[in-house]
Amino acid sequence: MYRGREGQWAFVLHRISGVALALYLLLHVFDVGLVMYGPKGPFNVFLAFYHQWPFRIGLILVMAAVIYHGLNGLRIIVMDFTSWGIKYQRGMWYGVLVLTTALGIPILIKVVPEILAGKA
Amino acid sequence: MAARPRTLEQARATYDTNRELAWWVFMRISGFLLIFLVFAHIFFNNIQINVATVDYAYVAERLSKAWVKVYESFLLGLAMLHGSNGLRYSIEDYFRNPATRFWLKAVVFTVAAGLFVVGVMALWAFSYQQMGDAINAVGHGG
Repeated sequence: MYRGREGQWAFVLHRISGVALALYLLLHVFDVGLVMYGPKGPFNVFLAFYHQWPFRIGLILVMAAVIYHGLNGLRIIVMDFTSWGIKYQRGMWYGVLVLTTALGIPILIKVVPEILAGKA
Repeated sequence: MAARPRTLEQARATYDTNRELAWWVFMRISGFLLIFLVFAHIFFNNIQINVATVDYAYVAERLSKAWVKVYESFLLGLAMLHGSNGLRYSIEDYFRNPATRFWLKAVVFTVAAGLFVVGVMALWAFSYQQMGDAINAVGHGG
């Protein structure tokens, strides 16, 4: 399953997306926590900063990571809890990639024009 | 599965494995639940609206709803546990030096625990409704 074949790539992407999402989660909770300082606090300043286009592209990557990590997590659950999962893990990984792309395209269609249009 | 432990050393290894087994099961259960929680969270806040319109008023209005508080509490708790345990797996895989492992994990767990408290406070400790009413009374300021 490993040794440079699909299973290994599935693992590497799962690891990278997982670490990235965990770090994003910490930043996200910190940043939404600023809402406690009230409307005159630093919250809006922070958000305005993060609404700039480089961070919105970053959010697209976060969403891609969420979709891949979630779907590949389902693949891992199927591999661990069914008798047939490991036999079909390679096909399921390609399924994960296809589904990630399929969910990603409508997101890009919605979000990219928003970024190009600048602040709403 | 290893054979029944016959020495203290083996028993220690086995019991450690049982705790690891519990985390292993937790990662799968929490992961399954997080798929729904996170996908919906992203859909409501990033897809259904333009995320650039999110500001204090939007978040305050959202966090004033009881179901959002409950929903986000589950999301916060499961994601923090799933994320910090995942970071622990990664640290243990890539750092061999015991001191480095200890300090990295200490930092990750401290930051995660602290931010969990921040998240719980942000969800439950404030009346954004009252804050919002106060703001509306004086007009939207920026």
